[in-house]
Amino acid sequence: MAPRLISRAAVAVLLLLSMASSLLPAARGIWLSIPSTGTKCVSEEIHSNVIVLADYYVINEDKPEHVPKVSSRVTSPYGNNLHHLENVTHGQFAFTTSEAGNYLACFWLDEHQEHVSNVSLGLEWKTGIAAKDWDSVAKKEKIEGVELDLKRLEASVESIHQNLIYLKEREAEMREVSEQTNGKVAWFSIMALSVCIAVAAFQLWYLKRYFLKKKLI
Amino acid sequence: MEMKQIYVLAALLLSFVGRISSLSITVNDVECVYEYVFYEGDAISGNFVVVDHDIFWGSDHPGIDFTVSSPGGNVVHNIKGTSGDKFELKAPRSGMYKFCFHNPYSTPETVSFYIHVGHIPNEHDVAKDEHLDPINVKIAELREALESVTAEQKYLRARDNRHRHTNESTRKRVIGYTVGEYLLLAAVSSLQVLYIRRLFSKSVAYNRV
Repeated sequence: MAPRLISRAAVAVLLLLSMASSLLPAARGIWLSIPSTGTKCVSEEIHSNVIVLADYYVINEDKPEHVPKVSSRVTSPYGNNLHHLENVTHGQFAFTTSEAGNYLACFWLDEHQEHVSNVSLGLEWKTGIAAKDWDSVAKKEKIEGVELDLKRLEASVESIHQNLIYLKEREAEMREVSEQTNGKVAWFSIMALSVCIAVAAFQLWYLKRYFLKKKLI
Repeated sequence: MEMKQIYVLAALLLSFVGRISSLSITVNDVECVYEYVFYEGDAISGNFVVVDHDIFWGSDHPGIDFTVSSPGGNVVHNIKGTSGDKFELKAPRSGMYKFCFHNPYSTPETVSFYIHVGHIPNEHDVAKDEHLDPINVKIAELREALESVTAEQKYLRARDNRHRHTNESTRKRVIGYTVGEYLLLAAVSSLQVLYIRRLFSKSVAYNRV
């Protein structure tokens, strides 16, 4: 238990320090455990024209010195392969979304290595405003410290505003669909009744014709 | 000036933490996500929404269970049988926290979640001879407040997604079931007619006693 925590903590702290030295936003991501067989997938619904940055690294919980290799694949909602990398311990990918939909990133262990049981993958996944490179903005506009902080907050507020507009649009769309379904249900019920009556009338007409033909009535 | 700059960089570093987007994961039985909390007393907040909910017959899905375990192994937070909720807790100690989703049914469910660990710099973070600049604390608090608004928005988006799924499913089912109903009605009535014809057909009639 203790070595596991120490190794995880060590990697996390190392990454944090490396981030600190390069002045990137200190992003800690989530950790997933990769099963020995099968894939572990995470997905996100992203709309178009959004920058996605991701970084992943693998550690072995039980034997920190033996680092297993994973392969990864990122697919767009229409099935295009955006990123495919085999046999690595550390990888990253970046892309700008061209279509809106569900983007899927899958990780799996390579088959050609000894059986490892406790593999953890650290994933940092940043989209949109979080993926913005503040370092270059700070250099370009020569701002730092509090001013940079406030600029970041301003960008954050702007993204909140955009999100609100998006939510409003989606809600309006959904209300449309709900209203239409409501209308359809009423219309279909009346149609069902009329179909019932029509079919009963047809039955009566046909049987009367049949019995007349057979001279039974 | 040098120390102040270093301090400012450190404040930048310490306060911009935990920026992940809302990811979705498919839960077959138990799926766990881990996140490292650097400081004791950090506020862990987040939300999750179950997006897939396609149960046609029977009662509603019992929902999934959500547990948060501290690095020591004890369960810090527990929600049972929901289709989505928000949570907020204060980390009792630093370390790797485990966030687990448990699906009691065999049908896989997709859960969209967002976890954020927020830290406000306080006296313990700075070196002994430096003092804390109140503006940086205020900026950190402001950032945390904006972060909570963003988290709420992510929750609303995930819920909106789920409602959309439900709406689409309802719409398809309404059309499918009514067309099926009409066809069934027509089939049953023609079967009735055929049966009555058969009752009155000559071969059967002559054999009646």
